[in-house]
Amino acid sequence: MFLAVFSTKGSDEVSPDATLMQQLLRRDVSAFEELYERHSRIVYSLVLRILRQGSTAEEVVQDVFLQLWRNSSRYDTSRPFVPWLLTLARNRALDHLRLKSERQRRREDQTEEFPQIATAAPEYEKALDEGRRAERVRALIGSLPAAQKKAIELAYFEGLSHSEIAAALNEPLGTVKSWIRNGLIRLKEGLQATS
Amino acid sequence: MSNHDQLRELIEAYALGSLDSTDRALIEAHLASGCSECAKALEEARWLVSQLAHLAPTAEPSDMLKGRLLQTVRAEAAGGPAPQQEARGAAIPWWLWAGVAALLLFSVYSAWNEQHLRNAVANLQQQAEAQRIERQKLEEQLRVAKLQAHEAMIWMDPKSVKIMLPPKDPKMPQLEAMWHPELGLCVRGWKVPSPGDNRVLQLWLIPKAGGKPMPSVTFWPDASGTFSAMVENPPDALSATQALAVTEEPIGGSPQPTSTPMWVGGVS
Repeated sequence: MFLAVFSTKGSDEVSPDATLMQQLLRRDVSAFEELYERHSRIVYSLVLRILRQGSTAEEVVQDVFLQLWRNSSRYDTSRPFVPWLLTLARNRALDHLRLKSERQRRREDQTEEFPQIATAAPEYEKALDEGRRAERVRALIGSLPAAQKKAIELAYFEGLSHSEIAAALNEPLGTVKSWIRNGLIRLKEGLQATS
Repeated sequence: MSNHDQLRELIEAYALGSLDSTDRALIEAHLASGCSECAKALEEARWLVSQLAHLAPTAEPSDMLKGRLLQTVRAEAAGGPAPQQEARGAAIPWWLWAGVAALLLFSVYSAWNEQHLRNAVANLQQQAEAQRIERQKLEEQLRVAKLQAHEAMIWMDPKSVKIMLPPKDPKMPQLEAMWHPELGLCVRGWKVPSPGDNRVLQLWLIPKAGGKPMPSVTFWPDASGTFSAMVENPPDALSATQALAVTEEPIGGSPQPTSTPMWVGGVS
């Protein structure tokens, strides 16, 4: 499903996304449109999963892409683009979620407006194309025990801390920490195993 | 195990953003001390965490969103700075030296002035952007405050009608709603279990006249099971509604119920 959205790249070539981001510096609207076509689906899916409401999710996606357009110079073209964009979108959506639920739980808000998020693709990144990697991620996380999977989802999609997750799941804090760490290590090893 | 090894174990959770403040401060201090191994591990952990986005069910944004974005971007591109002209080199006759020198001086001044103006414009744009973001934040805070005040009015006004929604499953908590004929409808609950994966709770209005339930707002409880949902403009009038019901639906809500109601409460 994600095959149409993503592209793979060779080790030394400049990624199409990096090229498009460079074109944005020259205010190239068609480059913006192509970036939107390539990535709006995965960004919207992520934001909708976090906010669970279509209209609010679209507001946040609009904000993310406009920031991309207005601050393209902040993107380091040597870094992988999609993880950077997804991190940015997740931060924005969680920001929105925190603001919305402020009356229910006061939370610390540390997210910068347009952060410099240094992300580096590991060696095994190129072992799978994005579509197959997406399937693998779903299978690996899906194979975890239900409570462990829930803990990871609460952290990623709802931005909860270890202690908040422990309280929500009524589990010891140490257990939650191990679940999250081991779950992510299992994901990493599972993706590495395909390389 | 060394301090470095212990902190290295926190890197994945730090990238996920799930560390509590004490652990977060420890790892940030360690990173600030210049540990290149942990800095590299963090960059790779961020990549790994970003892969969790693939767990989200695939959804398609509306065409209207693309239209709105392109409209804004085209307008901004049209008003953006013009591309810089390339410098030219050309032979100049000797008798034009004086004129050229004057022209050169003028060009240097113009270039300096242009750069100065560009910097000023860039600064203004940055300030405008910062103000836009601040305004957006304030508007959102105002919206939340208005919503809270609106909710409080609904819960306190004597014209409001209270509706209890007992659960079908006796192990579940009861929900309560308050409906004001002009101000709208509020539903809230405590200790409500989270809906299943990629599911939300959805409110329905059952018309007195019969026919299909009318879809209303979707919502979900927070980690403690608390929620408060408000419908400013219910799809039907209080007097025309027989009951309220709540079902579990796929994320985004449904046009008609796809599961049995978990809570139902008659409107008296």
